[in-house]
Amino acid sequence: MGETEFTLLDGAMGTMLQAAGLPAGTLPETWNITRPEEVTAVHRRYVEAGSRVLYANTFGVNRLKTAGCGYSVEELVAAGIRAARAADRGEGVRVALDVGPLGQLLEPLGSLRFEEAYDIFKELVLAGEAAGADLVVFETMSDLYEMKAAVLAAKENSRLPIWSTMTFEQSGRTFLGTTVPSMALTLTGLGVDALGFNCSLGPAELLPLAEELRRWTDLPLILKPNAGLPDPATGAYALQAEDFARQLVRGAELGVTVLGGCCGTGPDYIRALGRELAGRKPGERPAPDRRGLCSASRTVPLDGRVRVVGERINPTGKKRFQQALRERDMDYILQRGVEQQDAGADILDVNVGLPGLDEPALMRETVKALQAVVDLPLQIDSSNPAAIEAGLRAVNGRAVVNSVNGDRETLEAVLPLCKKYGAAVVGLCLDKNGVPRTAEERLAIARRILAAAEAYGIPREDVLIDCLTLTVSAQQEQAAETLKALRTVSGELGLHTVLGVSNISFGLPAREQITVSFLTQALAAGMDLPIVNPNQAAVMDAVAAFRVLSGQDPNSAAYIERFAAAPAGEPKPRTGEPMSLETAVAKGLGAEARALTEQALESMEELEVVNRLLIPALDRVGERYERQEIFLPQLMSAASAACEGFEAVKARMARRGAGTVSKGKILLATVKGDIHDIGKNIVRVVLENYGYTVLDLGRDVPAEEIVRTAIQEDVKLVGLSALMTTTVPSMEETIKALRASGHACKVLVGGAVLTPEYARQIGADFYAKDAKQSADIARQVLG
Amino acid sequence: MEPRLTGINRREALIYLGYRGGALEGVEEELERCEELVLKTARPRAVWRRFALLPDGSLEGADFRPEGEDVQALLAESREAVLLAATLGAEIEALVRRTQVRDMGRAMLLDACASAAIENVCDNLCADLAAELAPLHLTDRFSPGYGDLPLSCQADFFRLLDIPRRIGVSLSPGGLMLPQKSVTALLGLADRPQPRRSGDCAVCGRFEDCSLRKEGIRCGRN
Repeated sequence: MGETEFTLLDGAMGTMLQAAGLPAGTLPETWNITRPEEVTAVHRRYVEAGSRVLYANTFGVNRLKTAGCGYSVEELVAAGIRAARAADRGEGVRVALDVGPLGQLLEPLGSLRFEEAYDIFKELVLAGEAAGADLVVFETMSDLYEMKAAVLAAKENSRLPIWSTMTFEQSGRTFLGTTVPSMALTLTGLGVDALGFNCSLGPAELLPLAEELRRWTDLPLILKPNAGLPDPATGAYALQAEDFARQLVRGAELGVTVLGGCCGTGPDYIRALGRELAGRKPGERPAPDRRGLCSASRTVPLDGRVRVVGERINPTGKKRFQQALRERDMDYILQRGVEQQDAGADILDVNVGLPGLDEPALMRETVKALQAVVDLPLQIDSSNPAAIEAGLRAVNGRAVVNSVNGDRETLEAVLPLCKKYGAAVVGLCLDKNGVPRTAEERLAIARRILAAAEAYGIPREDVLIDCLTLTVSAQQEQAAETLKALRTVSGELGLHTVLGVSNISFGLPAREQITVSFLTQALAAGMDLPIVNPNQAAVMDAVAAFRVLSGQDPNSAAYIERFAAAPAGEPKPRTGEPMSLETAVAKGLGAEARALTEQALESMEELEVVNRLLIPALDRVGERYERQEIFLPQLMSAASAACEGFEAVKARMARRGAGTVSKGKILLATVKGDIHDIGKNIVRVVLENYGYTVLDLGRDVPAEEIVRTAIQEDVKLVGLSALMTTTVPSMEETIKALRASGHACKVLVGGAVLTPEYARQIGADFYAKDAKQSADIARQVLG
Repeated sequence: MEPRLTGINRREALIYLGYRGGALEGVEEELERCEELVLKTARPRAVWRRFALLPDGSLEGADFRPEGEDVQALLAESREAVLLAATLGAEIEALVRRTQVRDMGRAMLLDACASAAIENVCDNLCADLAAELAPLHLTDRFSPGYGDLPLSCQADFFRLLDIPRRIGVSLSPGGLMLPQKSVTALLGLADRPQPRRSGDCAVCGRFEDCSLRKEGIRCGRN
C-alpha cells in the first residue's frame, strides 16, 4: 500500500482456519500449538494482502473458556503470538494480543464479579506482554463494564498500547444497552489508545455510529466491520470484497485511520481495502464538541443546561440512613436511588461516609448495587481517597468526584485518581483557612484548583466549581457573595458550577421559600448543577420553570408534561375520607399506609403499632390470599404498602435512637448455579414485613458463603431457593454443608420445581409453597 | 424475517402468576400498564438455522444429536431440523429488577408479562418460519429441559447458532440463559402436516410436580 496514514488490520481468522480443516467443535486456539504452521499461513495471507497489524489467534483464550482444553492460558497465548510473528518477513508487522469477551456475563445481569473479570484479563495481558505482543486489542465487547475491567487490567499490569472496539446494533446500542457516547466518554477517560467498532454490522451500517463517535472523542478511531449483515437462516455474509472496501472508505473520509474486517471477510477484502485507500488521506476530524458524564446506558451532557444532582444518598444528619448503613440495608439505599431518578434527578450523589464503617468497601458495594437499578451517572462523594478510588473503580461509566478544595494535600491525593479513571471533579472554593468571605477570594481558589487539575491533565470542562452556600440566617451578606462568585466562575472562567442550596435556609421558618428563591437566583447566575433533594416538589418545579424561561425546554414540552401528569392533591392522602391502616395496606396504597402509620405513632408505641396494626393488617391480606380471594401480585402490593408503614416506624425509632424491632434473623439465598431470584426477593419482602431481619445473600451463592454467614451471624433459619431442576442438587449440597458444619439451624426451601416430598428428600426441615407460607414457618421457628 | 412482538396473552400471564380465578380488583388496570411497558421496553431478537437430519437423528455437519425419546419422536417424520433462539433483550431484565426495589407486586406482573411476551415472539417466529418454509411442515417447538431432552444440550444450541454474538444472550456455567426472557428450541421440518402436541402435559418435564396439572389447568406450553 506504500506510504500511508492509515493502519490496515486483518480480516476474519476462525473461518479461515475452518477452511484449512479445523474440525467443528475444536477450539481454534489449540491450533496455535498443534498446527502453528496453518495459523501462520493464514496470517501470512493477510500480510501479503497488506495487513500491518495482525490480531493473534487468541480471541477465545481465557481461563473460563479454555480450561480443560489441555493447554494453559500462557501456552495458548505464547504460541498464538509466535504464530503471528512468524508471518512477518520483514514487513514490520505489529502483533496484537487479541482478547474477546470472557463468555460469562458480569454483575449485575450475570454473576461474574468485576474483580474476577479483572483478574482473568490480567492473566491474559501478562501472558501477552511476556510473549512479546506489541499491543493488546479488546474487541467484540457488548458490556462496557467488562471492557472497563479489561482496560484497567492492561493499564495496571502492562505497558502495552490498548485498542478497544465494541459491538453495536443499528439502534446505536450494544446488546447490553451501552451507547456510543457512553463508550466514548468512559474509554477515553480511562486512557485507551484507540477505540471504535467491530463485528455485528457491515461498513455501511457502522458509518453513522462512527460519525457519532467522533463527536465524543479525539482518539484514533477503528472500524473492523463484518462483510455486511448475515443471512438469518445460514449465518453467511454476502457483501463482496470490492463493495466492502468502497463502503468502508467512507469511514476513512470521516477520519477513521485504523481499518480492517471482521466476520465474513478474508485477504481479498483487505487487499481491496488497501487499493481503495491508496493515495488517500484521512478525512479532517473536527474537534469533539460533546462532553459529559454517563452510566453505561445514559449520558448526561455537560453543556450548560441544568442537570439536577440528587443529594439523598447521604447519611449526614439522617439517623435512619445511618442505621441503614450500619445494618448494610442496601434496599433502603436503593430505594433512595430509584425514588430520586423517578423524581427527575439527572445525576446521583453517593455518600456513605460514617465513622466506624469501612467506607471504601461500602462505597464499592453501594455503587455496584445502585448501578443494577438506576441508570444515572454517579457523583462519588467522599473525603477519603481510598473510598473515592473504590467508587471510581466500581463505576460503570464516567463519574464525577465530589470533591477537592484549594488545599494542596487534597488536590495531590484526589486529582491523580480523577485522571486515572477519567472522572470529572468538583472543586470547593475553600482551603485550610476555611471559606473565604469575598467572591474574589473564592475565585482565586477556583483558579488554583483549575490550574492544579490542568497540570494533572484534567481538561477544564471537567472541573466543576462549587462556590459554597452559607446559611443566610447566620451570615446574611454571604448569599450575595456566593451569587457573585458564581457569576464570575461561570462567566469569566467559563466553568461549570455546582451548588448545594438547601443549606441557605437553615434556621429559618418556611425554609422552602428561601431555598427555592435562592436556587432560582443561582440558576440565573449560571449555576448548572444544583445539588438538591429532587423529592421536594417545589424545588423541581422551580427547575422546570427555569428550564422554560431559559429556553432549555423547547416548546415547554417537559414543563407541560410535568404539570399535566399530576392531578392536584395526589398522591397525598385524601383528607375527609377516613381510611384505616388496614384498608390502606389491603389496597396497596403506600403513601396512605405511611401517613396513617405516622398518625398512629402519635398515640401508640412503635411495637404496639407493629403488632396491633401492621401485622394484623398483613395477616388479613394473607388470609384472603389463602382463601384465593386475591392472588400473589395483590398480596405483594399490600406487602409493599405495609413496607411504607414499617419505614415510618423505623424512622421514628432511629430518630430517638431506640435501636430496631426485630423478631429474629433469617438468611435467604438463591443457591449456586441458579440466577432466578424474583421468588426469593418476594419472600424477603414478606418476611421483612413480618418484622424479621433478612440477610439476603443474593443469587448464585456458594454453599460455603451460606454456611459461613449462618455461623457468623448465628442465624437460626436459612431459606434457600432454586428454580431449576438442575440446581436442586446444589441446594442439597448446601443443606449437607450446613448440617456438616454443626451449626444448629432450620432450613426452609422453596422454588418452582420443589415439592414437599422432594424437600424432605434433600434434607430440608420445611417446604414453603409461597411467600405467605414462609412467613408462617418463620413464626413457628422464631416466634 | 424480523422477530415480532405483537401482543401479550393476558390469560397466560395470569397463569404464570398463579391466578386461579377470583376477583381481579385493581389488577387488570395495572396489568394493562405493565403490558404496555413490556411491549415498549422489549427489544426482541432472534436467530435460526436449518440442518439436514441424518438417519441416526443427528444434525448434519453439526456434531449434535438431540438426546431423548421425546425429541426423536417429534422428529420421526422430519428430514430437516430448525434450531432457533429468541430473546427480549437485557432491558426487560433491568426494568423488572428496578421495579422490585419499589413495588414487588408490580415487578411480578411485569415479569409474568415478559414471560408471555417471549412466547409471543416465538409463536410469531414459528408462524413466519412456517410460511417461509412451505410447503414443508413444521412440528411443534421443543426446548432443552422439556421432556427428556437434557438442559445440557443448551451448549450445542449456543455453539451452532453463535447465540452470544448474534442476539446477545449468554449461557451461565449452570446452563441458564441470560437475559432470562430467552428461549432456545428445535423444530422438525417434514413433508406432511405434523400433529400439534401443545398442551399435551405428558411430554412436559414437569409432569410429575406441576401444580397446574394437579388442579386440572393446562398452561398450554407442552
